[in-house]
Amino acid sequence: MMVPTGEATIGPFFPPRYVDAGANDLTQFEGRKAKGDVIEIRGRVVQEDGAPLENLIVEIWQADAQGIFRHPADPRHAQADPGFFGWGRAATGKDGCYTFRTIRPGAPAGRQPHVNFMVMFSGLLRILKTTLFFEDGPDPVLNLVLNRKNLLIGKEAEPGLYTFDIRLRGEDETPFFDD
Amino acid sequence: MHMKTLILPRDERTQPLRIVPGYPQTPLRNPARPLVKRDPTLSELTGPLEVAGRVKVLGGDIAGHGATQAIGQLMHLRVRVLDEDGAPVGGTVVEIWQANAAGRYIHPNDDDHAPPDPNFYGAARLVTDESGAFELRTVKPGAYPVPTRDGWWRPPHIHFSVFGRVWLSRLVTQMYFPGEPLNQQDRILNAVPDPAARESLVARYVPPATEPYNALVFEHQIVLRGRAATAAQP
Repeated sequence: MMVPTGEATIGPFFPPRYVDAGANDLTQFEGRKAKGDVIEIRGRVVQEDGAPLENLIVEIWQADAQGIFRHPADPRHAQADPGFFGWGRAATGKDGCYTFRTIRPGAPAGRQPHVNFMVMFSGLLRILKTTLFFEDGPDPVLNLVLNRKNLLIGKEAEPGLYTFDIRLRGEDETPFFDD
Repeated sequence: MHMKTLILPRDERTQPLRIVPGYPQTPLRNPARPLVKRDPTLSELTGPLEVAGRVKVLGGDIAGHGATQAIGQLMHLRVRVLDEDGAPVGGTVVEIWQANAAGRYIHPNDDDHAPPDPNFYGAARLVTDESGAFELRTVKPGAYPVPTRDGWWRPPHIHFSVFGRVWLSRLVTQMYFPGEPLNQQDRILNAVPDPAARESLVARYVPPATEPYNALVFEHQIVLRGRAATAAQP
């Protein structure tokens, strides 16, 4: 058994060119359009004192509209949508806000529809992981944060636009997971 | 390629503290509440593969050539990316970034004293080969002062972002150089409590053995989380 390498912060100098144009748009892949309802996910990321964090990196991973992950560990992956890659990256702007354009995921077996989030930034020596849900329902991950569920459920600000703010620390801080 | 990956909890002593004395952003940005322990589901035990189809691969030669060679000590870095079984992680995207030989990054956040080098941007993005290996041709990065203004300097280091096979194998790390006095006082390297785990973040110097002997050679190993799962599955 080998010991996994120690993590370190991404620091303040992550190259802007690594946030490729279109990396935050998951609605097409290899010239095909993803199946399903196009949605936008937007949110502001703040630190303890409420200050918005600029140039923070957010990555997401999600199932396609049928709840299938584009990965061989998913028993249904042969039926995965060829127009949907499932991963995206965004950097926050001056206002601390990120945006993703994606499709509303279907429910994977045993789970509510959700989107996995990772946050990487200067001052974070470890990647922070959390999960966005669209509505309440029985789910093994949502069940772990019973009294803070509302912090993981996106608000539908207008049809097709979900807001998901991420507070790294402080009152109403976002629940983060250790797995 | 393993279909299924098993992710086990890590020994916390091999991973950095979240709140680090003398690193003033850490108490503002790390959760006050304990992280919520969760057992991975299929969602976290899958992840983006073939990321190279989604982002631009830039190659691993960032030192420049001839009249446009970057200033600094030319070096070759040979890295292998493995999983916890020691099996190679091939075909995965690695993103690399570093300061130039004077300790300066090409980034709007770096307004430090040190001069930029017009021949050095300092970013390589590549894909590991079947043996999990990649080679970087670069110049050795310089040290630089951190704006805490209390004497903290970052030792020479190279940043890596690696995807791996599943969401939970994603890794962001930094590699250090052997024999650097600044390693002893660096607040990020020393945030890892276990001495052996800290040592594994330091590259190994290898005497150059082939013509034209014009570059320093270092070797390094990156171990991603995850083992091959052996449970019988459909």
